[in-house]
Amino acid sequence: MSKSNSVLVIGAGITGMKASLMLSNAGKKVYLIEKLPLIGGNIIKNEECFPNLECSTCMVAPIQQDILQNQNVEVMTLSTVEKVEGEVGNFTVTINKKARYVSLIDCIGCGMCYDPCPVVLKNEWEENLAEKKAIYVPCPGSLPNVPTIDPESCLQLSGKQNCSACVEACDFGAIDFSEKDEKIKVYVGAIIVATGFDLFDATYLPNFGYGKYPGVYTAMEFERLFASNGPTSGELILRDGVKTPESIAIIHCVGRKDQGYCSAVCCMCSFKYAHFLNQKIPDAKVYNIYSDICVPDKSYQKFFENVKRESTELVFQPSTDKIKVTKNGSGLDIKYLNGKGMEETISANMVILSLAMIPGKETSHLSKVLGINKDTKGFFLTQNRNIGSVETTKSGIFVAGCAEGPKDVQNSIIQAEASVSKVINCLE
Amino acid sequence: MGEKIGIYICECGPNIANKVYIDKIIEKISSIEAYKNKELVIKNHKLLCSIDGKKFLEEEIKQNEFTHLVIAACSPKDHESTFINICKKTHLNPYLFRIVNIREQCAWIISDRDEATEKAIQYIRGSINRVSYQSPLEEKKLDSNPDVLVIGGGIAGIETALSLASKKRKVYLIEKTSKLGGKSAKFRKLLPRQNCNTDVIQKKLLDVEENNHIQIFKETELEKAIGFFGNFEVILKNVKDNNLKTELRVGAIIVASGFKQLNTSELPKYEYTQDDDVYTSLEIEEMCSQNGKVLLKSGEEPRSIALIHCVGREEKGYCSQICCNYMLKIAQYLEQQSSDIKIKEFYRDLCLPNKDDQFFLENLQNSAIDFIRIKDIEIKGNKIKYIGTDDTKKEIEVDMLILAPAMEAEDGATELAELLNIQLDETGFFQEAHQKLNPIATSTDGIFIVGAARGPSGISESILQAQAVGGEILTQLIPGEKIVPEVKVSEVLEALCKGCQTCLNVCTYGAIYFDEDRGISVVNEAICRGCGNCMGSCPSGAIRSKHFTNPQLYQEMVEALR
Repeated sequence: MSKSNSVLVIGAGITGMKASLMLSNAGKKVYLIEKLPLIGGNIIKNEECFPNLECSTCMVAPIQQDILQNQNVEVMTLSTVEKVEGEVGNFTVTINKKARYVSLIDCIGCGMCYDPCPVVLKNEWEENLAEKKAIYVPCPGSLPNVPTIDPESCLQLSGKQNCSACVEACDFGAIDFSEKDEKIKVYVGAIIVATGFDLFDATYLPNFGYGKYPGVYTAMEFERLFASNGPTSGELILRDGVKTPESIAIIHCVGRKDQGYCSAVCCMCSFKYAHFLNQKIPDAKVYNIYSDICVPDKSYQKFFENVKRESTELVFQPSTDKIKVTKNGSGLDIKYLNGKGMEETISANMVILSLAMIPGKETSHLSKVLGINKDTKGFFLTQNRNIGSVETTKSGIFVAGCAEGPKDVQNSIIQAEASVSKVINCLE
Repeated sequence: MGEKIGIYICECGPNIANKVYIDKIIEKISSIEAYKNKELVIKNHKLLCSIDGKKFLEEEIKQNEFTHLVIAACSPKDHESTFINICKKTHLNPYLFRIVNIREQCAWIISDRDEATEKAIQYIRGSINRVSYQSPLEEKKLDSNPDVLVIGGGIAGIETALSLASKKRKVYLIEKTSKLGGKSAKFRKLLPRQNCNTDVIQKKLLDVEENNHIQIFKETELEKAIGFFGNFEVILKNVKDNNLKTELRVGAIIVASGFKQLNTSELPKYEYTQDDDVYTSLEIEEMCSQNGKVLLKSGEEPRSIALIHCVGREEKGYCSQICCNYMLKIAQYLEQQSSDIKIKEFYRDLCLPNKDDQFFLENLQNSAIDFIRIKDIEIKGNKIKYIGTDDTKKEIEVDMLILAPAMEAEDGATELAELLNIQLDETGFFQEAHQKLNPIATSTDGIFIVGAARGPSGISESILQAQAVGGEILTQLIPGEKIVPEVKVSEVLEALCKGCQTCLNVCTYGAIYFDEDRGISVVNEAICRGCGNCMGSCPSGAIRSKHFTNPQLYQEMVEALR
């Protein structure tokens, strides 16, 4: 039996997009599937990327456009893998593709349908810091620039009420309530898993006060709060309405001990936040509370030194698990043990938790569907690192990016490139 | 044949139609006196990017046999490629087409409909004038050579060779010393799971030596490289006999020239002599491989050893990212060698950025190894003075010291960068094309950087990068397929060039060379990316960037401002 010339890429973040474009260039047909209604992954949630503070959108949007316009790449959003049969060279994959209810061909992305929709929901993509309608794009600039209808909340689709406000607002006849979820079968020779990461759930560690005090934010919440296309258009307005906090404490390594590994990027993210804060509120006092500085790239330490000089006070404490965030009047107190083992306190209006990167929620399910193993941390298991860290425990299935373990953008790209090399060699 | 320009205005549903007066645009453009000598066809359509719209446009172009096309619609980011595809389909040269953005730049941002209409007219007029000055550029297709040259026979070079060698692709692997394997061949055990070295490195060495598609040149260096992606000509020379040369043709070059450790005698705080029992980590690796044991110069077993991290980190300005890991590995060797050795690890921050590293650390933390976090440290022979995190100064003496010096680019990096016309960054390692998005490519197409030549990397990172370069070459340099270089390139107007060579300095791609005989600069169109730096820098206006010529820009501007 001859080998299929097609490849399935799971996850349309920076890793999956890079791998897809490369494979397309080599004449492969690529099925790129993404569970969300938009492509781009986590990187597009960032305003700017460390260490060069390049605008993420400017970096990634051309890649997203290339993906959407590429004749060899078939993008399926709102899609997950349901079943995989066969072996290297000949996999049969069943994809569960949810209905978008808005035509990708007819819709031009004018956005006239959002306002008339009467249903208001929390926007999870915006870390619940914003609202959305039942017909929505996750954020301005989403690609594909076509909204999605949430079938559980839409009055019409959930059968609660006969509402056609969006249909009436659409001049292009792009909305179709009769669209159905589909099961699509594709035949591929190899699979690249690029499902990315999630962040550690800060509510597991009550000592940091997340969920209890409105001034405590996760790193990703801060990214969105700072983003110019985010919920506040980049203005620093806290949950309790306080504008421009006067002092901010950024706590590193939250969840590191519990997860049992360093996430490699959080120190740089934390320093980036200090820089952002200093740019936006020059008078604010910004603390970086850390235990180890991990800046593992030739270009990172310089950025760290600059931030240390200009934007932040570094506070060393050796035991992150002993930190306690408590309320003090309208502000917050952060208590920690210093290098001498003595308790000290910092007061701040805002606390940002640099959380550990953890395996994506769907990793366990996907490992069963694909028949590949996970490691002790829950990421996809690869063969011994010294032989190659993109080969999973099943021939023809490769893993790249943060699905394999925490890493920064360039190391995700390097794995994408390496997995493409493996795919091409195994389909020869 | 006279000019016949098609002008199509997209309504974008209500997006443009409700915000500008399309009929006024058509009326105004049709009545402009200056266009009387041009044949214009002006029409509007509800949605040009729709299936109907595209079909309509195709038929219009075919029927009218336009010489030029202007489309007033959305941002070129949205649909320029859609319309370029229609041009190609209808055999209208796409470089005779221009898109005008009257949605994002007019309709969506100007609330006054008359003003928005006025601005749209100005923009469209500019483009109508400009297309007349555009030239029909043609894509070129060049033959390419799929073979590759790999510089450096360490683990990164070996893995690169193994990922690429095949029936259809020959790999030339050059190594300046007499042995393949580089530094990693000296290691006794590998991180993180401490597999025996022979399993991994030795097997790869054997594979390379036995592979028929890999030709190995030992004691060989690069002397010269010219050409461009797909077509490089290189000359190699033997390091012992410089007259022994080999000429090769390859399509791509991969630099895997490795690293060296910082010379600790450059650091005033580390004072020791050859007679002291002070070693670098690599010296310890070698000692372990040769003796199977770490011993003092006297031949006795050491009773106390200090391992010092981050030697030279501050001076170099970067973290070498693998030292913490290998220092833990060395501590584990020592612990296994004898439980009587007192081991102290002096560190500032523990940098363990891989998911398996911390587990390794936690196991060691439960052992007898003493981890001491310091703020500053000085050594003099086997005496150590340090300041702890509690700000107290302490002094100790040990039998042996093991240092983890910063990794630096290999000595020949500067010369190699010059030979290949690629850049080094401020740390002295080779610079990436884009730090994040293109981390193993360089600013010169077809030249790649992998392993510790690119920046501090361990064995596993180097192997991964080597496979990554495999991915890039397998998808860009495909045997039997032609390469299509950039079309919108620069050209030198011979009559105007004074030979000052300013352009050579501003070209980051190395696409311009100086023709001594004619005394002028010449652009190699296969390398040029059309950035326009040279055009801007040329004091005599002798360089033209195709598709962005001065007359094109001037005519567009003048007409838009009329």
